[in-house]
Amino acid sequence: MGILYALVGRGSVVLAEFSGTTTNASAIARQILEKTPGNNDMHVSYSQDRYIFHVKRTDGLTVLCMADDTAGRRIPFAFLEDIHQKFVRTYGRAVHSAQPYGMNEEFSRILSQQMEYYSSDPNADRINRLKGEMSQVRNVMIENIDKVLDRGDRLELLVDKTANMQGNTFRFRKQARRFRSTVWWRNVKLTIALIVVLLVIVYVVLAFVCHGPALPSCF
Amino acid sequence: MSFQDIQGGPNPPSRRNQSPSQAVAAGIFQINTAVATFRRLVDGVGTVKDTPEHRQKLHNTRQRILLLVKDSSAKLKSLTESDRDANANASKKIEDAKLARDFQTTLQEFQKVQQLASERESAYTPAAPSSLPTSSGSGEESVGIDVESQPFIREHKRQEILLLDNEISFNEAMIEEREQGIREVEEQIGQANEIFKDLAVLVHDQGVVIDDIHSNIDASAGATTQARVQLAKASKSVKSKTSWCWWLLAIFVVVLVILLVVLIF
Repeated sequence: MGILYALVGRGSVVLAEFSGTTTNASAIARQILEKTPGNNDMHVSYSQDRYIFHVKRTDGLTVLCMADDTAGRRIPFAFLEDIHQKFVRTYGRAVHSAQPYGMNEEFSRILSQQMEYYSSDPNADRINRLKGEMSQVRNVMIENIDKVLDRGDRLELLVDKTANMQGNTFRFRKQARRFRSTVWWRNVKLTIALIVVLLVIVYVVLAFVCHGPALPSCF
Repeated sequence: MSFQDIQGGPNPPSRRNQSPSQAVAAGIFQINTAVATFRRLVDGVGTVKDTPEHRQKLHNTRQRILLLVKDSSAKLKSLTESDRDANANASKKIEDAKLARDFQTTLQEFQKVQQLASERESAYTPAAPSSLPTSSGSGEESVGIDVESQPFIREHKRQEILLLDNEISFNEAMIEEREQGIREVEEQIGQANEIFKDLAVLVHDQGVVIDDIHSNIDASAGATTQARVQLAKASKSVKSKTSWCWWLLAIFVVVLVILLVVLIF
């Protein structure tokens, strides 16, 4: 949840307050104001059931807030510091002579806004912002891991395909070499056949010219 | 410096201007001697030798030093003015500047010793039996003051201690919570580191696979090139075969012509 109630007071006089829920925080806050005597600066926290009241007093001005125990201390006290600065910057010296609830109409809205901001926005705390950024980095890295794994799968497919291509090209080379041998032998056979035919023709012509198969007239 | 100036006195030819310089040098020397005596007297303050007569002697020495300083300062001023008016030579000006610097050094030394004397005169009183009851009386008064205001001081200290304890516990709680947050951030950074390492391993393994792919493709390219060479040779053989067919046709035609000629005749 976060910060549920906030109050600004001087001594035991309440100057402004805002409550996010209907609880008895206002009564308890007044008791705390009355129980903390003196004007010296202090930081204290009181626990009440599941809620903790954080009190900060600086220069006689008291800022108080109620938060649940999961909010810790860093964010509530940062809230108190912020409210104190805004209050002093807005009203200045009028703080010391103001009437009870004199600033409630204007400042309760600011209290509400800041309660919302410090309860919901992670950027209110530097460590929380850093934690959020580290979470983003981790998420991005997990996405990168997934992408690299997909890339690995596709690379596996690619290596299989290239292995197949290598086998196919080896077979292609072997068949090309066999084809070249076949064509060469065929060419050799054709040459021999042509030579034989040529010799037969020459013999026939000579036999005709020499008047006999044994070629008697030429020898 | 002073001795050198005194020894160098008779050497320069113009004796008229040396008298003021020599007088200033002598004055500075006397001041140094008196300051040394004054320092010895100051060292005696606060010891068994500290007596009213000792204080009187200290006072007299201080007065004598002041008179000497006044006299030498006046002489030095007139000397500087005469140097500026007469437009003396450079070495003369240098000597006078040296005298002024020595005088200033001596004055600073005297001021230091005088300050030390003032401190010691305030801290200690002369050894005289008549002043003992006064100091013991003031001691009793201070003890009384402490007794009167002790409860208030104790209460104030207790409140301060309580406030400091509150501030310390508050700061410890804040520091604890901040430590918790920083520890979580550190844990997340560690996880990011692990993820980066895993990514590096994966990328390296895929590099090996890519190397295999590269070698497969290289082998395929080589085999394809050789196959292309073989096919080129086969194509060449086919062309030769076609040429032989044409030769065969030519021979057939020739034979046919010869037969026709023979039949005609």
